[in-house]
Amino acid sequence: MPYLLVDRRRSRSLKRTATALRDGGARAVELGFPFSDPIADGPVLEAAHDRALRAGTSWADLLSACRTVSPILPTAVMTYGNPLWHRGLSTALRELAHAGATGLIVPDLPLEESPAFRAASRAAGLSLVLLAAPGVTRARLERIAQSSQGFLYLVSRYGTTGSQGGAASVDLRPLVSAAHRAAPELPVLLGFGVRDRASAAAAMATGADGIIVGSALEERIARGDSPEALTDWVRSLSVTSRRR
Amino acid sequence: MPRRFGPYGGAYVPETLVPALTELEATWRSARRDPAFRSELRRLSTTLGGRPTPLYFAENLTRRARGAEIWLKREDLLHGGAHKFNNALGQGLLARRMGKPRLIAETGAGQHGVATAMIGAALRLETEVYMGEVDMERQRPNVERMRLLGARVIPVSTGSRTLKDAINAALRDWITNVRTTHYLLGSAVGPHPFPSIVADFQSVIGREIRTQSRRAFGRLPDLAVACVGGGSNAIGTFHPLLRTPVELWGVEAGGPRGRSRGAASLTRGAPGILHGSLSYVLQDRDGQVAATESISAGLDYAGVGPEHAWLRDSGRVRYLAVHDDEALRAFHWLAEDEGILPALEPAHAIFAAVGAARRRPRSQRIVVTLSGRGDKDLEVVTHAAR
Repeated sequence: MPYLLVDRRRSRSLKRTATALRDGGARAVELGFPFSDPIADGPVLEAAHDRALRAGTSWADLLSACRTVSPILPTAVMTYGNPLWHRGLSTALRELAHAGATGLIVPDLPLEESPAFRAASRAAGLSLVLLAAPGVTRARLERIAQSSQGFLYLVSRYGTTGSQGGAASVDLRPLVSAAHRAAPELPVLLGFGVRDRASAAAAMATGADGIIVGSALEERIARGDSPEALTDWVRSLSVTSRRR
Repeated sequence: MPRRFGPYGGAYVPETLVPALTELEATWRSARRDPAFRSELRRLSTTLGGRPTPLYFAENLTRRARGAEIWLKREDLLHGGAHKFNNALGQGLLARRMGKPRLIAETGAGQHGVATAMIGAALRLETEVYMGEVDMERQRPNVERMRLLGARVIPVSTGSRTLKDAINAALRDWITNVRTTHYLLGSAVGPHPFPSIVADFQSVIGREIRTQSRRAFGRLPDLAVACVGGGSNAIGTFHPLLRTPVELWGVEAGGPRGRSRGAASLTRGAPGILHGSLSYVLQDRDGQVAATESISAGLDYAGVGPEHAWLRDSGRVRYLAVHDDEALRAFHWLAEDEGILPALEPAHAIFAAVGAARRRPRSQRIVVTLSGRGDKDLEVVTHAAR
């Protein structure tokens, strides 16, 4: 599952990009809404958030991106909590659902703060995807897996998005299988630091059902890779899933 | 210990930080009941920090106002020159109790960075401080002080390159190094339990005001005034006075005159989620956090502690904003009348207090928390005078 940060300057090429990703084997797409203070993001995406905001990217651009992409691939929106809160949870989530989004990911929303967001998501018909991270206790992981909708987003390392290193110290296999046991129907997707064929294969070797690639894709789009090149690259990451 | 203050507060953080926040809360709960911890905190507050700080009758400033008496709570005399020591010491001891060998901190004016560097040296903890490039430029003396105290100062070049961005950078570091590092957050902001911990360690200010004002003039003051950026010296001043009849004022940075909203989150912002808690935030219509503007680096922040948000809504505390030029005037009043150079942050509170004193009878007493000294601001002040 690729992550695309919404950027007004890229709105005209968005359809081609999404199609290229689908042709490479992507099953869904995550559309990121830029935020002024993206604390979970590493240098590559942080700079991308900043550029997108300087270009004037607005909430209306996010809705239009959802309308463009959702006919091509199932679309989840990733946004920090404040833009939703400020707009009003129920208004914001209804607008996203009307624009074609089916899932919602909020990187600064832990389990404890999720009930209000879950209620608004349910009312709007969106799946609220929760995140789990290394260091989580088994009991907490089970509660997160049972509360997450659509899939479980497992953060693969101590670090921000795109970080490299620190991966080897964390064995994710027990976390993945615990999540599968707690919520047998729920796919587990690994993200943060998956950037090439080797890290994708390592991620899939944990028993995960899929991977999320953000920073590495942003680098390729920012440097102007052609749609064909993106298709080939996504294909090179494609790795067979254990379960589906 | 409350997770919420009315609707405000909470812990809106990436899941990676949840175990560290849980550990911090548990450590703090056990530490505050532990006589050994409390006596160590008291010993170092006294012998290293210089507590209690005096309550000073500003007779000449009172004469200028020709009204109520103005008294200064002299946190500027605390070790390091600001109230920040209270919290840095407390959290430093908590870090040691958790066995974390490394401290990170954010700093705006540099006062919290200096306090953390001092505590890091005294407790033998490795210390790294994030500071926005704009703030490094305007508060250069403090950058040098931190380095001399053995801390590494890491320049932050993203966003507005001020306090907000330094907090972002510190949070990213913490997400990455959370197993070995304590984030020594310097203000009453951030995710639970930070606002409550910081309020706890800073409440020594208000407790001393209570005792000292009874000793000095036989009763509690009529009004207590403190400046509010994130709001740590203010919450420390207010907490022990919340259940008394004392009027409480928090003074925000109004920034330059004109269209700017300054850094006045409570008087000109709207509810929002920033740096882990729900509070008042200066933001645009899409919920993007706004750039702030203030002559004082320590108040130049788009958010504010969640407890202040609740104290505002509930009406217990009155919040007002003071402009840059007014704070500068108050800086000179205090320098010329009392021979004290205040930091530009509490100069905002001084201005509001003098205004209040003018409209009140001589029988009333106003206590202002003088949260820090002004040596760090000499360049800004002399530049503004030109």
